[in-house]
This record gives sequence, C-alpha cells and structure tokens, in this order.
Amino acid sequence: MEFKHRQLDNGLVVIGEINPSAQSAAVGFFVRTGSRDETPAVSGVSHFLEHMLFKGTETLSALEVNEAFDRLGAKFNAFTSEENTVYYAAVLPEYLEAVTDLWCQLMRPSLRQEDFDIEKQVILEEIAMYLDMPDFLVFDRGRELYFGEHPCGNSVLGSVESITALTSGQMREYFTRRYAPNNMTLACCGNADFDAICRLAEQKCGVWRPDQAGRDLPAHRSRPQKRYDAKANLNRRHIALYSPSVSMQDDRWYAAKLLSVIVGDASGSRYFWSLVDPAIADTAMMDIAAMDGTGAMCSYVCCDPQNAAQVEAIVNGIFESLVKNGVEEGELTAACNKVLSSIVLKSEQPMGRLVSLGFNWVYRREYISVAQDVERIRAITVEDIKNLIAEFDLRGYTLYSLGPQ
Amino acid sequence: MTSLDFHRLSNGLVILGERMESVRSVSFNILTPGGAALLPDGCCGAGSVLCDWLFRGAGTRTSRQLIDALDGLGVHHSASVNTHHLTLNGALEADNLESAIALYADILLTPRLEAEQFEPARQLAIQELAAMDDDPRSKVMMLLHEQYYPDPLGRPGQGKTQELEAMTAAQCAAIAAQLRDPSRMIFSIAGCYDFDKVCRRLENHFGDLTPQRHTAVRPAPKTIRYTHHPNDGAQVHIGLMTAIPPISAGHYYETMAAVTVLSGSMSSRLFTEVREKRGLCYAVGARYHTLRDWAGISCYAGTTPDKAQQTLEVTWEQFQRLKDGITADELQRAKVGLKSSLIMQSESSGSRAAGIAGDYFLLGRVRPLDEIRQAIERLTVSSVGAFLQAHPFETFTAVTIGPKEIRV
Repeated sequence: MEFKHRQLDNGLVVIGEINPSAQSAAVGFFVRTGSRDETPAVSGVSHFLEHMLFKGTETLSALEVNEAFDRLGAKFNAFTSEENTVYYAAVLPEYLEAVTDLWCQLMRPSLRQEDFDIEKQVILEEIAMYLDMPDFLVFDRGRELYFGEHPCGNSVLGSVESITALTSGQMREYFTRRYAPNNMTLACCGNADFDAICRLAEQKCGVWRPDQAGRDLPAHRSRPQKRYDAKANLNRRHIALYSPSVSMQDDRWYAAKLLSVIVGDASGSRYFWSLVDPAIADTAMMDIAAMDGTGAMCSYVCCDPQNAAQVEAIVNGIFESLVKNGVEEGELTAACNKVLSSIVLKSEQPMGRLVSLGFNWVYRREYISVAQDVERIRAITVEDIKNLIAEFDLRGYTLYSLGPQ
Repeated sequence: MTSLDFHRLSNGLVILGERMESVRSVSFNILTPGGAALLPDGCCGAGSVLCDWLFRGAGTRTSRQLIDALDGLGVHHSASVNTHHLTLNGALEADNLESAIALYADILLTPRLEAEQFEPARQLAIQELAAMDDDPRSKVMMLLHEQYYPDPLGRPGQGKTQELEAMTAAQCAAIAAQLRDPSRMIFSIAGCYDFDKVCRRLENHFGDLTPQRHTAVRPAPKTIRYTHHPNDGAQVHIGLMTAIPPISAGHYYETMAAVTVLSGSMSSRLFTEVREKRGLCYAVGARYHTLRDWAGISCYAGTTPDKAQQTLEVTWEQFQRLKDGITADELQRAKVGLKSSLIMQSESSGSRAAGIAGDYFLLGRVRPLDEIRQAIERLTVSSVGAFLQAHPFETFTAVTIGPKEIRV
C-alpha cells in the first residue's frame, strides 16, 4: 500500500491508496457539502442535486450516463449526509480511468428542467419510503431534536414542502458555490495508476473555477430533552438517544468508537446483556456519529411498547455505572478485537477502504493506513475511556421515541 | 487469485475451501439441515429460536462465557435460517481460526439448551417477527415467498406468531439434535487458512457423528394470485414473483443475463422505465431467487398509493417484453456487469464462503470462478433470446402492503 497526494492549481485534491496486487479499484469524488450547508429555503437540495448529477451533462443524456457506467461493469452509487456528498464506483483495474473520466464529466451537470421535474417525483417517493421506515425516522427526528437550531439538525431529505417548492435555479446557484474544486477531493484505491488519474483530473477538472465554499461551524450546546410521538400503524417502540461526543477532528475518536462497541455492539455489549439477552428489547445498539467540529453518541433501541419505560430505566442504569466505574479491561480487549476484525474484513476490497481514505482527508487532511488504524486502536486504555466518559456525559441525552398510540 | 479445496469426512460431512492469497481474514459457514422447510409442522420459527438459544451456553461455557470467548477472538458471529438450512457464520482475523472452530463445534455438538434460557430466546423470535410489521418492505417479500413457493418451501425462517407462542423447549431441543446430521452438513471456508489443519480439526470435532434418517420434503403447489395487507403507511409496497427454472435446470447464465437486463443496474429496463422515465418509484428492482428444485424472479416496488396501479402495470410490462429478446448492447453490458461482480466477490472472504457452499448444495459441486467467467462470455443474444422465448413470463403472484389495493 502506498499513499499518494497531489493538488491542482484550482484547489482540487487528488489522493490515492495504491495496492498493485488488488483485483479491483475504486474511485470517488468527495464533495464537502450536505444538509448542514443549506438554508431552510433550499432544504434537501444537496441530496436532490446528488440525484441530478446522474441525469447527465450538455453532451450526455441520463440514459447514456447509466449505459456508460454499465458498459464498464461499474458498481457505482452516491450518498448524501449532513456534511458530505460522495460519488463512488468500484471497477476492474482496466476500467478505472474510464470510470474516473465519466465522474469528472458528471461533476459538471447540465441540470435540465425536464430531468429536474421527473426527479422531483423520485425524491418525493424517497421521502414517502422513509416515512414507512421508523428505524430511520427516529434517527432523523432525534437528530433534529438534539441539534435544535444548529445546522447539523437539518434534514438530508428535506420535506415534501421544501422539495415541492425548490426550483432548478436555486439548485444551480447552490451547485456553483458548493461544487467548487477547492471544496472537493478525488480519491482512488486499489489497483490504480495514480499518475494517470492525476493527468485525467488535470485535463478534465483543471478548468473548474474555485469559489467561496465555506461552512459555518457554530458550537453546539446540548439541551437534553425527551419527546414521545405516536404513529397509529406502528407495532413496536423505536427509541433514539443522542448525547454530545467527539468530532471527526478529535483524536479521541478511537476511544469513542471503542466505548460505543462496549456499550452497544450487537453481541456481548452492555446493551446486549441488559436489554437483548433478557428479551426486553429485540435490538439495541450504539454508535459514534462524529461530524465536522461536533459529534454525538447515538443509540437505537426497538422494543415492545410495554417495555419502553423499563428500557429507559436500564439504559440510565448502564450510563450511571459507566460514569461511576468506567469500563473493564476485558470489555476493552473484546471491543478492540471486534473493531480490528471489522477493519481487516472491510479492507479486503478496495471499495471497503475508499470512504475511510476520503473522509480522513476531508476532515483531518491526514492519511491513516490500516496498520496505523490498528496501532491507534490497540493503544487505547481503560483510562482513556474513563476520561472520555467524564468529559462527555452519556446521561445528558436527548431522547426521541416513536411508537403506537 | 483463489484456489479450491474439497474433502469429505467418512460420515459424509463435506468440507469446501477457497484460498485467497491476498487477505489476512477468514470467513466460514456451517450449513445444517435446520431450514424452515425441514421443520416439523407446527414448528415454524424454531430455527429462529435456535439461532439464539444455541449461543446461550455450550460445552463448559455459560451463555456469557461463550459470547465473551467469541468476542475475545474478534469473531463476527451470526446465525440465519433459509428454506433449506440453518447456517452459522463466522468471520475473523486468520490467526484465531482454530479456536473459533472449536467454539462453533461446541455450539452445534454440546449446546446447553437450558430451560430458563429458552423463554428469552423464544420471546426474541416473537419480537423480531413483530418488528417486521414496522418494516413493510421486508415483510412484503417474506409474504411473497410464502405465497409463491409450494408448501413447505415458502415457510418463513422468521416463523409464525401463533406457532412460536405454542412452541416448547422440548420441540426445539429435538430440532437442535436434527442439525447434527453429517450427511446433510456443509462446512465452507474462504480466505486465509491451512486446509489440512481445518480438516483435522473438523474430523476431531465432527468425525464421530452418524448420519440420520430423514424423510424427503413433498412440496404442495399453491395457486394464490394476489393478497393485500392493509396498512396505513405512506407507500404501497408491491412484491411480485414469477416462475423461472432453478439453477439445477442448467439455464443459470441465461437467467442471470435476463435478470441483469431487467434490473441489474441503472441502465436496466425496470430502472429506466419505472423510475427514470416516469418517476413512479425510488426503489424498484428484481432478482433471481433459486432453491434446489424451484425458483422464481421476485420483484419489489414501493410507491405512493396513486401511482401503485401504474407502477405494477409498467413493471409487469417489462417482464413480458423480455420474450421479444434483448439487444446486443444490453447483453454486452450484462456480461461486463456479471464478470465484474464475480471478480469483486472473489476479493471478499464472506461472499466466497457463502458462494461455494451455495454451489455445492444447489449443484452438487463448486464451480471454479474461471468456469463461471467463461460461461458468461459464451452467452449470445440468440441463446438468451431462445431461453426467454421458451420461458415467457405469463403470470405472476403478488402481495401488497399499504393503504390501497391494486388490480392484478
């Protein structure tokens, strides 16, 4: 594995983790933009724009774009979060340059009105789809409740109203500001010719003009609160908890990750033994959602509605005990082993490395190899986790709960 | 690059391996005859209970000691039930493989199956089934398979509430014993391992098992056309399924080419016609689902109530159009897509461990990746066209969940 890095004059960064023995390669554009960069008037535009990039350019129609990807046998997609829009493809090495060329072209879309109108219908269907997924809804609404006025509480999908009212002109204006080369990173992994990718980037993206693509990073002050909502057609109670935690720039991310595994892994965790093993809840998990300059520890529990109060009491007990006694050496060792196994399994394929590679650069301007990841995880001590718990009190959580009447 | 290993113990237990030079990880599956179709009548869901109960203590270890031991080795462990098998999975860094296999042997051979641990295991199975009511997209596919396949092949691994509520520990313990039939067990492994060591380990653990008598499943076909399950949600979740030969019938590659043209990716017909041109859906897709002797193409589409009827019609039209054949360009894209998936799967130990076990069970042998690649390359517009003409999609069975019924 070798890390490579170059920056074009217009600010576009190209990075690569090159592994000549890999059977495949992966490439992606990481655009530092998401719902937190939107105003209420354009709520949902980042995600809608992500869809529109697949609709083609001045010279390519939507169908031609899809056919071009499929001719390369590419496994490709995109996702939008509160703060990133990521476009990626995994291909056989001989197609890497062609698929990178295609992505470079698509980053300058035509945003045709007729495509915009049809895709708006698809976005509205996607919003409807998520309304039927309570496990997604509680996270979305829980995040909104937790972050309040802070931009990280903005909805990625937007609302039926905001999407219906959105115009292609507003999208164009947003695109021009946010898809500036100085706000984008092109990353590749696996069996790739880095110099060839750089030449291609220079040729296709060198003419893009930089722009002011900043981001507000206001501090977030958590005001713990609880909300219980009803939805008549539900059968279970879905509960999301949010409490303050480390940001993506914070080196304590590793300790936070291990804490989340100790508390809320699917097997052998505190949640597992107290909630799932005795069948008080069928699902209980915790994960760290580290973001730009802020972060949250999130939990999700799904249970029979009559067990909801008991679930809250048990979770409170777990958090109390963590504050009082910290974690045990054995718990930490097991969590380390689980995280290390995950990393090794995930890095089997170049595509499994791409998102880590890209995000480490976007947030930290840093390359972290698998070996360094392993080293940093192994270095975490019980004391590190104790300090983390002392600074970020899990007991100060915001709760959002959704279930039947 | 990968290479295949095969060994059969004298009691019939089959051991399959695919070595991958470039990984430090290893994944393994143990397939046992505890699939939903093999359970006694009235025990639907016993497999789901066992997936949990088996892990609640084994050999000298209590429930907590067992989970701690697995976690201590960093084993990603899970268990699942499909039509034919109850499967235990493990994935980990290669160094701890032998210790992990020893733990899985305990789980299968000497599970504690304590009475006080049965009730929470059963309650969890009931709750997981109840949770599917809040996930209509998954539930519609579960109901669709049940409606499409002849009984008992369509029985859901997740079980049925009524049967789970009546289930006893004694019934489940008897089924746990049924899993230990070496003549119907398959152990598959992929990634970084030493095959001789693995075989010796398995011989030590499982070599003394003796084959069990069992009766063959006799499927009874169904003729239900459509069922609707009212739910006051935002979308109508549509599942439809139509007949196609199983993999064992020898048309696997033509079928995969057809399904890829229909729904393989974003230039496929379903995506283009239903989503791109008409904006009817966000999620629409079809896939080939094959058992050993039965198969179908299942299709899911989720859409708001006013568009549901049109979604069904446009979707079904794409199935019917296939009998008119596919274009050279479509076939070319399908071939590249299938070959590219194949090579990418060859980099994933989890995919390969599952792939070789599936091949062996469905076909009686493992297809080397090169054989699959060559078979894909041999496909022609006329071979796929002839297959589709001989197997036109004339009828389907459908299930919907949502606020509005459709006409089928």
